[in-house]
Amino acid sequence: MTDPFTLEILKSRLMVIAEEMFITQGRSSKSPIIYEVLDYACAITSSKAELIVQANGVAGFLGALTFAVQDVLDKFGVEGLSPGDIIATNIPYEGGGSHLSDVSMIMPIFYQEKLIAFAVNKAHWTEVGGKDAGSMTNDSTDIYQEGLQFPCIKLFEKGKPVAAIIDLLAVNVRTPDSTLGDMYAQAAACRIGQKRIEELCDVYGLELIHLAISSILDEGEKRARAALKTLPKGTYFAQDEVEDDGMGTGKTPVQVKISITDDSFIADFTGTGKQALGSINCTRVALNAAMRIMFIAITAPQIPANEGIFRPLTVICPDGTIFTAQRPAPTSTYWETRLVASDIVWQALGPVLPERLTAGHYLSVCSEVLRTRNPETGEMALLVEPNAGGWGAGVDKDGEDGMFCMGNGQTYVLSSEVAETRYDVLVNHYGFDVKPGGEGKYRGGRGLIREYQMLSPGSITASFGRSVKGAWAAQGGNAGTPNAIEVKFSDGRKSVSSGKVTRIPLHKGDLVRLITGTGGGWGNPKDRPHTKVLQDLKAGLICPDVAKKVYGLEAKG
Amino acid sequence: MKLATDIGGTFTDLVYLDEASGELGTTKSSSTPPNFAQGILDTITKANLDAKAVAHFVHGTTVVINALTEHKGAKTALITTKGFRDVLAIARANRPDIYNLRFKKQPAFVPREYRYEVEERLDYKGEVLTPLNEADVAKIAAELKAEGIEAVAVAFLHSYANPVHEKYCAELLKKHLPDMFVTSSSDITKEWREYERSNTAVLNSYVQPVASSYVQNLENALRDMGVKSGLHIMKSNGGTNTFELSKQQPIHLVESGPVGGVIGAKAIGDLIGEKNIITMDVGGTTAKTSLIEDGVVKFTTNYYIEKDPFNPGYPIKVPVVDIVEIGAGGGSIAHIDDAGALKIGPQSAGAVPGPACYGQGGDKPTVTDANLVLQRINPDYFLGGQMQVDPELSKKAYTPIAESFDVSVEEAALGVVRLADANMVNAIKLVSVRRGYDPRDFALVAFGGGGAMHAASLAKELNIGKVIIPFATGTFSALGMLMTEPMQDFIRTKVLPGDENGLAQVRDILTEMNTEAADFMRAAGYPEAKFSFKPYIDMRYVGQEHTVRVPADELNLAKLESQFHDLHEQAYTFRLESPVQFVNYLVTITVSQDPVDLSRFKPKAGNNAKPKAQRQVYFEGGWQDTAIYERSDLPLGQKIAGPCIIEEPQTITVVHKGMQAWIDEIGNIVIDTGVGHER
Repeated sequence: MTDPFTLEILKSRLMVIAEEMFITQGRSSKSPIIYEVLDYACAITSSKAELIVQANGVAGFLGALTFAVQDVLDKFGVEGLSPGDIIATNIPYEGGGSHLSDVSMIMPIFYQEKLIAFAVNKAHWTEVGGKDAGSMTNDSTDIYQEGLQFPCIKLFEKGKPVAAIIDLLAVNVRTPDSTLGDMYAQAAACRIGQKRIEELCDVYGLELIHLAISSILDEGEKRARAALKTLPKGTYFAQDEVEDDGMGTGKTPVQVKISITDDSFIADFTGTGKQALGSINCTRVALNAAMRIMFIAITAPQIPANEGIFRPLTVICPDGTIFTAQRPAPTSTYWETRLVASDIVWQALGPVLPERLTAGHYLSVCSEVLRTRNPETGEMALLVEPNAGGWGAGVDKDGEDGMFCMGNGQTYVLSSEVAETRYDVLVNHYGFDVKPGGEGKYRGGRGLIREYQMLSPGSITASFGRSVKGAWAAQGGNAGTPNAIEVKFSDGRKSVSSGKVTRIPLHKGDLVRLITGTGGGWGNPKDRPHTKVLQDLKAGLICPDVAKKVYGLEAKG
Repeated sequence: MKLATDIGGTFTDLVYLDEASGELGTTKSSSTPPNFAQGILDTITKANLDAKAVAHFVHGTTVVINALTEHKGAKTALITTKGFRDVLAIARANRPDIYNLRFKKQPAFVPREYRYEVEERLDYKGEVLTPLNEADVAKIAAELKAEGIEAVAVAFLHSYANPVHEKYCAELLKKHLPDMFVTSSSDITKEWREYERSNTAVLNSYVQPVASSYVQNLENALRDMGVKSGLHIMKSNGGTNTFELSKQQPIHLVESGPVGGVIGAKAIGDLIGEKNIITMDVGGTTAKTSLIEDGVVKFTTNYYIEKDPFNPGYPIKVPVVDIVEIGAGGGSIAHIDDAGALKIGPQSAGAVPGPACYGQGGDKPTVTDANLVLQRINPDYFLGGQMQVDPELSKKAYTPIAESFDVSVEEAALGVVRLADANMVNAIKLVSVRRGYDPRDFALVAFGGGGAMHAASLAKELNIGKVIIPFATGTFSALGMLMTEPMQDFIRTKVLPGDENGLAQVRDILTEMNTEAADFMRAAGYPEAKFSFKPYIDMRYVGQEHTVRVPADELNLAKLESQFHDLHEQAYTFRLESPVQFVNYLVTITVSQDPVDLSRFKPKAGNNAKPKAQRQVYFEGGWQDTAIYERSDLPLGQKIAGPCIIEEPQTITVVHKGMQAWIDEIGNIVIDTGVGHER
């Protein structure tokens, strides 16, 4: 019999491996979307593709990596894998699971010729080719326009890079240096995972490693089931819509029925509308990943995630919906729809779980691809960034101002000083948007405005979802404000204000204003204590008119 | 006479060196919050020292970190570039607690109503686009006065490239408000990224009134006692500042306390020829580890307060010795979590109620209790016998864990010690393996109350061949401070191509920085003959963000490049063909001091020290009859074999089976763990 303390120590050793992979990858990357946005994740899975431990920069990748490992097992089988192999996939309808920009790399780990685990990571590559720079666009009509597809293929065979594939990759992307740099950083992280697992095997032996893995998974399940018991049992329902696919499909209705029992959590999206023409389609793997986030968020947000935790979770949705799009549907802005899937679960459960959930937040990743140039070298440069916005108020708290959406996480906003050094723009303004919205006994957090002034020609493509209605309120609060992209031209063209802009040409002096929504309020604004209203007024967070009309503050003197 | 004082939550330590007689002594006194200066004066009185003979005084203080973590600083305002007042509150907008949909951001230290905007603008090259609007500053000055603001920070965009507007704004403020504490961000750091630099300036302002009055009071009290000159405060970078500079830039004191031990370990390494050292300082609530490579203490400007896995923390961009701290000290509590897993810390029993064995009402099993159950700690010799501890209470505290895992109480206690060791090993890996160093190339220097108990097993786990338990273990931090030197780091950001043209500009920048550094130290009153300069360049591959720090003693392009490729590969496992860039420039100026004479610690000669006792001690494998030695009985060089325990009033050293221990020529205990490789 194994002594329980050795097992605990081994578990603690396993848990830090993903973290080390994560740091290795981030520090050696050449793309801001990796080292500033941290749009990547690293994990170790069992030899059966069960998640053992994961390190995340963003929430969206939680639990998504295991599907990629499963694909590798399905395609190659254990016998088709060798030490030193690294396999890549980005197919949205299969294990890749999001859009082509997110590339998963998977490395089987062998010990004494036995497959014992996988090191896996998934990262957003700034460029994977396709019709538009940055590989994300609003008007693609099939996946072939969105970039290179890696159908679960070996990039490295027995430790050696497959030159043909890498050459092919290099000529099909617009920024081969950073794309390949990121690929090597990802491979380096896989190798760190492999090395550490082998070291553990040397010290503890295979049998103990297997025992530790099953113990970690069982522990996860135990924690999830214990947390599940504390949730309110019953059936909950919500419906909403995906507002626009950018191709004139119009609104797509979506809905969810959540059933919570003592030992199961079922999210059933049956009744959701068909897949769209434009690139906002979400696929099944992304939907599953979205539900894993919601499940952990409402059960036990701070426990280390592993496959065991998700054992009580079931996700139901027919094929071919906007949540489960089929080939060759375009998916490059899939996150807009994935976030709506999460948000309807949030809406359904918010009223019964105030200790876990706030009112609605600005929801979208609000990401733009601003094509400009490097001010020093004149080379083309793509400013790709997600934007922070306002979060909803809670039962006992104001919403948070300027924070990344639920799909992001350990994501950093771009420093204006760094932006002006790297890109040929001037940042005129970066601060809270204080226009009316989100009022309540507890107020929604403020969205942000960032204004870029172009110093040379360029263009912009962006998708800011939830641009029609603002974040939803709770218990009589006011809704938040919508997200928007505004473009003001210096040559007299009519200004644009929209949730989606596609390849709008920009000239020197044009202004791009990225506006994110304020979160929803909680409770009747008239119940907000006047001391707090006065404080908001002094801080310039609200205007005198709102203080008087919405909050009922008596004019003094 | 040289004095060093280190103030802890419980005790104030004093170490003194009388150069005339060669006497090196230590004394302890209770800390006296909130008037900490009194505790210092008490130790001087207790040691019966002649204050008039003090020529060099070094002080480690927690006043800055306490003001920050308790949020008890001044009413502070921020003045920033028009359009950017919310940068301080947006911070970097990250949510480390990524699945928590009710996450709470840590609030800015300056609320929105006290964040003011001024019309002015520079571009990224530091060229003026819009001149500073003086009328804006005058208007704000009037508001600061009306609002009762005590301290103000000025942080403008791109001030790292050109501080002209910040300097002018600060000047105008001083004219309008002569008594106001004013900090310009570029005076503290010249690194880019507006949020981090602004926050650093704000926190300097926030602590300035309280820190400067603390320093002033201490200065007055010392002068009243007769100390005339040589007053220094320990800085986070491992050097010292004058009292005057400490009042202007108190943020440099944020880790004033903990760095003393690291500097002490380096000094000991210098004396005995160990250039590569990993330190392990195990105190009551935490264990701290740091790495010294080739005699150089590593520092970082990626320092945060209140940062943890679930909170982003507040960045402070000043050089801080690179220390990793984990919640595994003697008082850390072992517990079984909801899913049945054994965990240690971060909760600590602290000094009150303390570990269960203290009998002061604590009933939670701590690491100290585990060491007592295993009979590694001698209950009759705790703090040299000054404190009564009860092993039965420790056993009682461990009973629930033993029952839960269905093992004996001793096995449970050993499990906890092993898990604490594993946590410390993980921390050591963070400063070594994770940064590309192989622990086998280092010696482990362990100190603090618990360091010597755990060091040998940590070393074995990490394949470290040599462990050093220094003399004066209990007051080691203060001893380290005695050996520090005045030191200031200068850092600038300017991205330049990694070619000869770029290097020519780098040469100009470094020359300018050397002049700035020398002017700075001269102004602080130090003699130029003692100055030494150490330059570094942070380099990266074009397109990367993170940098690698390269020593730049020789500004030769080929040499810098090849060093960079090697260091990059060491840190990140690979190198690229890509071109490189220069990013940040660092100059560390040090004012050298006369070395501290440690000959007093020379142990006696002999070769026949006998154990003072035998007792049963629990190791892996069960109870073993174990020899117990008194440290002061051991003569120079006599080798004793493990398993054995070496006791001294302030700690115990555990030597495991298969290891050998002896006393070296300056009184350190050296353990050969038998697992190392030839170095």
